[in-house]
Amino acid sequence: MANQAGLDTSMLEGVKDKIRRGLLPQWAFTDSEIFKAEVKSIFAKTWNFLGHESEIEKPGDYVTRWIVHDPVLLLRDQNGQIQAYLNSCAHRGTKLCTADFGNKKTFTCPYHGWTFNLSGDLIGIIAGNKVYGEEMDRSQWSLRKIPRVESYQGMIFGSLDAHAEPLETFLGDMKWYFDIMLGRSDAGMEVRGVPQKWIINTNWKISADNFGGDPYHTAMSHRSTVELGISPKDPMYASYGHQIVLDNGHGINMVTALGGAKVPPYQGLPEDMWPMFARNLSAEQLEVFENTMIIVGNCFPNLSFVSPMHGTGGPDEPLTSFVNFRVWRPVSPTKIEVTSWFMVDKEAPEAFKEASYLSYIGSFGPSGTLEQDDAEIWTRVAEASQGEMAQDKDIHYNNVLNYLMGLDRVEPDESWPGPGVAYPTCYLDAISRAFYEHWVDQLLATADIPANVR
Amino acid sequence: MTYDDICQFLYTEASLLDTRRYEEWLELLDDSLSYRMPVRVTRDFDEPDDIVNDMTFFDETKRSLTTRVQRFRTTSAWAENPHSRTRHFVSNIVVEPGTSEDEAKVHSYFLIMRSIRDRADVEQMFGERIDIIRRVNNRLQLVERTIYPDQTVLSMLNLSIFI
Repeated sequence: MANQAGLDTSMLEGVKDKIRRGLLPQWAFTDSEIFKAEVKSIFAKTWNFLGHESEIEKPGDYVTRWIVHDPVLLLRDQNGQIQAYLNSCAHRGTKLCTADFGNKKTFTCPYHGWTFNLSGDLIGIIAGNKVYGEEMDRSQWSLRKIPRVESYQGMIFGSLDAHAEPLETFLGDMKWYFDIMLGRSDAGMEVRGVPQKWIINTNWKISADNFGGDPYHTAMSHRSTVELGISPKDPMYASYGHQIVLDNGHGINMVTALGGAKVPPYQGLPEDMWPMFARNLSAEQLEVFENTMIIVGNCFPNLSFVSPMHGTGGPDEPLTSFVNFRVWRPVSPTKIEVTSWFMVDKEAPEAFKEASYLSYIGSFGPSGTLEQDDAEIWTRVAEASQGEMAQDKDIHYNNVLNYLMGLDRVEPDESWPGPGVAYPTCYLDAISRAFYEHWVDQLLATADIPANVR
Repeated sequence: MTYDDICQFLYTEASLLDTRRYEEWLELLDDSLSYRMPVRVTRDFDEPDDIVNDMTFFDETKRSLTTRVQRFRTTSAWAENPHSRTRHFVSNIVVEPGTSEDEAKVHSYFLIMRSIRDRADVEQMFGERIDIIRRVNNRLQLVERTIYPDQTVLSMLNLSIFI
């Protein structure tokens, strides 16, 4: 196919070849045809994170979310089952539910009054039989279900592709690491309050790649915290530990202290909880968790997470860990809506929950002392990637970006106890290269299907 | 503590923030300060409470705000290096009596317009603040501030400012 945008197979193969050599064309961030292709070839095919089971605990509890441009009504039905519907009335397409969350038995469209129950059934029509007669089969006009909805460790995902592989297959070896963050406690995690939401003028890949594969940025982007004495002076501090490349474009960094130096076990989580971790995790997971200070990564395509130890005061303040997941929802090639959930172990002591929440607010989210600077810098990347030179598709030296770190230079650590290909440093572009290679593979998978069929 | 005293206090505070005289701003804050910005949400018509207090964008003490100020004074707080330019517009000030005659509960509207570098688009945020202002040693001090933004999705890329 030689489509008018010039996004044909040979072009994408050329991009793939560059990525394998540690080079990414800068136009990949902001090209509008790439964006359209991503929406159809990636986001409409993959598993998208929708919410956490603790957000919809009781029958009738609902939240409204997005899968890129598809509004989603996620709820727990009368039988306690999780359901996800296109949040658009089956009659004339009105956005059905406009609240962020709540509890309801039925949803009534304000346009013509069609009413649906928690099972999505059309149960009420204004003047129904008088205008449609008995012959209209109401069962044909239920809410449209999101084709696939599955959960892992309380994390609910949806896919717009009825033929998507099972969620657990998609997550693959990421499950082993999700278990450490989300499955270590008997009762799992809970979302505190609601997620924060905000807009950043950047591309979703820039932020996903930053969380997924870029501990290297901390030394400079977050140097202010070094100057304050909150972060270590050693510019290599976020490099210690392992960067682990997983299948399907996923990646995770398990950051430790220099030379395996002693860190607070289990990220400083209360000692009373340790026996619970031993019950729920394997010996290998427990060993890895015990020695890890910072967990940061990305679940392809746009579900990032970070679980660091951070303080809100000066260098003498204790550090507290937290668990944060966020979706970088692509709104346009240069705009994302961030939805960011703070999570904590349901069974953690209240004092820890509070300290953990304050640690999150202080360091991440739009007001966080670390994330403030990330947002500014990601905006600058998008801003500087839209011109003719960056957009030049004739790929030559000066419009490819550098993803060379560790290429053919750092070998995997065969002794790593967990799954995936683990490299013995986190200052490495291995995850980024794998992320972009998987990204271009997804675009290639549908590139040869004519645009009018896709 | 007159209405004028309170207006003067809030306008002075806005000026200190807009000129980034943050150390002087900190002096207006009581040591016991609680400074919170909960999350606004859209609720159904029959559920009027559209603020979620359990999650915030700020949940600060004077100590943590001091740390934030000190961070802006480093050479590498990139969100404000170069610094953004803000105007805090404060209006609709309504004063209620506090728990003593030296204390007032003050409602105000805020509109923050923010210009970043050479970007032509304007970042803005607006909403209401409810403050507890107390007279201590003949000076007014901010004891409590709760910031209620009107947006459920903040259109600002970051909150490297105070509100």
